[in-house]
Amino acid sequence: MTKYLGMNAKSLLTNPYILFWSILFIEFWVLMWAYIFGNYIPEVEEAVRIYTATAYGNLLMLSLSGASVTIASSLLYSSKSIRYVTKYTKLSPLLFLLENLTSSLIALLAISAVMFISVTGVFFARFGLVVMPVDAVGLVFSIFLGTLFIYALALFLNFSVIILRAPKSASFISFLPLILAFTAYASLWIDFGNITYFSPFNCIVSVCYFYFSGHAPPTGNFLIQGEQSLVNVSLAIGSLVAWAVILMVLNVILLRKMRGVGVEEIRTT
Amino acid sequence: MILSQDLYVTYRWRQEPVLKGVSGNFKNKALILGPNGSGKTTFFRAICALTNITSGKILIDERSVEDFYAASGVLSANFQEVYTLLGSNVFDLVNLYTDLSDGDSGLAFEMIKDFGIDLGFLKKRKLSELSSGQTKIVCTALALAMKAKHVLLDEPFEELDPAKKGRMVKHLNQYDGVVLVNTHETWLLKNLQNWEVFFMFEGALYGPLLVEELLKAEISMADEPDALLRLKVSDKMVSLVKGKGKGTLLTSLENLDRIYELAEGK
Repeated sequence: MTKYLGMNAKSLLTNPYILFWSILFIEFWVLMWAYIFGNYIPEVEEAVRIYTATAYGNLLMLSLSGASVTIASSLLYSSKSIRYVTKYTKLSPLLFLLENLTSSLIALLAISAVMFISVTGVFFARFGLVVMPVDAVGLVFSIFLGTLFIYALALFLNFSVIILRAPKSASFISFLPLILAFTAYASLWIDFGNITYFSPFNCIVSVCYFYFSGHAPPTGNFLIQGEQSLVNVSLAIGSLVAWAVILMVLNVILLRKMRGVGVEEIRTT
Repeated sequence: MILSQDLYVTYRWRQEPVLKGVSGNFKNKALILGPNGSGKTTFFRAICALTNITSGKILIDERSVEDFYAASGVLSANFQEVYTLLGSNVFDLVNLYTDLSDGDSGLAFEMIKDFGIDLGFLKKRKLSELSSGQTKIVCTALALAMKAKHVLLDEPFEELDPAKKGRMVKHLNQYDGVVLVNTHETWLLKNLQNWEVFFMFEGALYGPLLVEELLKAEISMADEPDALLRLKVSDKMVSLVKGKGKGTLLTSLENLDRIYELAEGK
């Protein structure tokens, strides 16, 4: 391992954009979930647990997607450097990916932990109940899978912009994970059915929900009463793993191909 | 050794190439002199594999640049854009890059201090927050401190005052390795004895000549039969000839941008 790992983790954890979009902005939604959306929830432990699981899954997805916007854009701005260091320093493309992934995961897991503490604390203040996940190890596993996918997606989008030499689309592309995450957020009111398995964002929510509450989540209509079809959690985990693996393999290939985009080129477009 | 063979680089499809069949063999220390916009920086970017090569190839120690990965100690460059891996302060950045390349951070800091930049200042500033001259010094110090066998220095004298230019020349002469410097300034020729000199005009590379040959060389706006070198500038043939006291001394030009004025008869 090189100094890059620690320095990148520190840089991400102190990045003001990540702190704003992944924590402060989402804190607003934590309060909304607790004090506005949660008004109809009976103060019964099981009901609060399921509601908390829904809130945590959805807010975590939004929070991680927010962080991925900053990770993607910082990678875009340093793309020439990435090319240079992977060719002419001891940081091979694979080692770079490994260290960048590890440092990003450290930052994303730290954000997930802050979100967990925040949701638990605010929901305790609102409902008077401390709701802990049914399967804490499973929840950590699901958070890890979610962060891995989000990281792989951010990297893939960024490398695609560079390879296609399309810095004009950089802003839109870097916000794509957040846009897709908000689309998946619509499952609170819409039943996505089998599309859930193809949408990694819905899979993140489903897997978190499952390990938090101990129940299989519905494929949608979380906030609407009535009959709901349930997610096959194993299938959702399989989908998330497949997405992460495919994107990481593509990232290794693209990293060797890309030559970087100059900062001036990004600014002038 | 860096070998360039019939190199063409085009940035966009259907655009005129920036480099047009550049061939050259760089074994020791060499200057590439050329006016602004002649393709010098693009040539260095191509050697670093930071830009697409349309055709031709570049070999470093007989290996294509495309094949190098994790090749620490082979090549370093002073482009600011390659030192933006992290947005940390300059002090940490120097430590990071010298760690990644098994270089010598002490050497970089020593050189930076030699140019009057305080290390405490570097701990408070990011690279993008330095002045252009300070940025050039830091990036050049980093390129030299990475202890690579081949070093590419793009305009290392730009934005430096005369005293600092002199100090930079001293550091370049002391470096043990293949050093390629591109610049449009001709004043420094007399300080770089034993260096080879190439010229780059409108995407074409000419040379090499030795510095000693150039010190007394004159520019003639005709195709001289006994020319040391013939260059094509604005579709006109310009010859570099041994000094006969008739033409303009090459070293009397402040920089090579002036050659266009001479070609146009100004």
